[in-house]
Amino acid sequence: MAAISETSGHAGPRFSWPSRKRIGIGLTAFILPVALLVLWWVASDRGWLAEQILPSPVFVYETARDMIASGEILYHTAVSLRRVVIGFAIGAALGLSLGVAMGLSERVEDYVKPLFLAFAQIPTLGWIPLLMLLVGIDETLKIIVIAKGALVPMALNTFTGIRNVSPRYLEVGHALRFSRWQRLRLIVLPGAVPSIFTGIRYGLTHSWTSLVGVELLASSEGLGYLLVWGRQMFWLDTVIVAMIAIGLVGFIMDKSLNNTETLIQRWKKGEA
Amino acid sequence: MSKGPHIQIRNVTRQFQVNGGSLTALDDVSLDVAEGEFVTIVGASGCGKSTLLRLGAGLDTTYKGAINHAGEPVDGPSLDRGMVFQEPRLFPWLTIERNIALGLENSGLPKGEKKALVEQHLELVGLTGFAKAYPHQLSGGMAQRAGIARGLVNRPNVLFLDEPFGALDAITKTRLQDELQEIWAKERITMVLVTHDVDEAVYLGDRVVIMSPRPGRIREIVPVGLPRPRVRTSAALVQVRNRVLDSLNNTTQPVPQQAARNIGESSPALRPVIAAVG
Ligand SMILES: Nc1ncnc2c1ncn2[C@@H]1O[C@H](COP(=O)(O)OP(=O)(O)O)[C@@H](O)[C@H]1O
Ligand SMILES: [Mg+2]
Repeated sequence: MAAISETSGHAGPRFSWPSRKRIGIGLTAFILPVALLVLWWVASDRGWLAEQILPSPVFVYETARDMIASGEILYHTAVSLRRVVIGFAIGAALGLSLGVAMGLSERVEDYVKPLFLAFAQIPTLGWIPLLMLLVGIDETLKIIVIAKGALVPMALNTFTGIRNVSPRYLEVGHALRFSRWQRLRLIVLPGAVPSIFTGIRYGLTHSWTSLVGVELLASSEGLGYLLVWGRQMFWLDTVIVAMIAIGLVGFIMDKSLNNTETLIQRWKKGEA
Repeated sequence: MSKGPHIQIRNVTRQFQVNGGSLTALDDVSLDVAEGEFVTIVGASGCGKSTLLRLGAGLDTTYKGAINHAGEPVDGPSLDRGMVFQEPRLFPWLTIERNIALGLENSGLPKGEKKALVEQHLELVGLTGFAKAYPHQLSGGMAQRAGIARGLVNRPNVLFLDEPFGALDAITKTRLQDELQEIWAKERITMVLVTHDVDEAVYLGDRVVIMSPRPGRIREIVPVGLPRPRVRTSAALVQVRNRVLDSLNNTTQPVPQQAARNIGESSPALRPVIAAVG
């Protein structure tokens, strides 16, 4: 069992090929992007693709600089972020409650889970046509779609986390005469935290990707809108800048969440 | 001490429903433990040692027969009965100090008193410097010390231990056995310890209970009758050990039905003290 750890930080056998020298992981991460950049530059310089399709890096850089200076990119990013923050908060809160309810009560599980799983099978974008008819194409639509993206992974991971709390720990609580509330507060919820965090991370990623999806279809502002608009105008430089912004924001969100997780779960360090 | 048994287990049978069938884990088991006594239980795996311990601790209450603790029927867990598991079962998300304090969650004591008790028990098991450490930072032996402290922090008058040193290396195990014995002597707690290590059973026990499997029964109870501190290598202790080993070997060998029944019926007191040892 993982409860007995003779040594801390013991990695155990790995399947991956060990890197002979893992110097500067930070630096290695840049090799591929730089290579791609070079390839892009060479491709556009040699005219391998028409300029309307693949603008040169320099051109994209200039566009990015202008869009940052004019505040355009910041504006669209802020619009998108605001939608994600609201939608994610609603979806995550609902998902957490649903996951806790299904995890704690077998009756709720029996009633709700089959329908919920079926509901989860329908891709987020598949809901949009119906939702458009119901709520129109305004802000509400976007918030609902984003919330749905967060709700499903949040509910499922919370549920699994609660159900997977070791009966051995519960027996300790039994021996110490824990009440139902003590069991929940001292064993079940803390035991489910790692899994809940996984839910938060997947939820945020889903929220972000569904945001872009819904903005592509129905919006007049936001990073997704910027993509569609750029494509319609054949401004591929704008499209690429928007793509980079979307990727960057997503990356930063995931990274900071990861750091928060490590900080909160210091106890997990070295646990195999 | 003749105040009557501290723990009284009378004609206890425990059956489990397995795949539609019924498995008798314990069959008509009776055992009395005196106050302040150190009783050890040995037996092959699957002979019902853990089942018996969980029943005594009140973790399992579906049985036939009677179990009493200080004259009161055992009908659930109690803070007067401590439990130590083989895997220390420390909560990985809590520091050692908080893990031990879990034992006091329902003690109803004021905060300051709880804090003092935790500190006192950290010291008792030699973990004072590790109060703020997380379980993954501890070695197996240290983790088990913390497990023992959590079992003792309520100041129970009986402590049940289920193979507490089973997963430890030989040196750590020896040290922890001595520490446990010191704690027992100092705190005057009744202890019931399950082990599969015969040396451990005879070194620690006032009496050694030998169990036999299928169905789980008490085959024999061997009084050790040696003063403490005991010397692990002393001839007297080795003699008792061989006696226990011999009895244990008979429990695991397939004996003809008739012979088995005879052994079961014969009174332990009438059996020769040393079976076949030179
Ligand atoms: N909860 C349970 N459900 C079904 N069978 C069980 C359960 N607990 C124990 N048993 C069975 O009872 C017998 C005794 O188990 P146990 O007390 O754990 O033995 P020991 O601790 O001596 O190894 C075993 O055959 C085991 O499979
Ligand atoms: Mg066992």
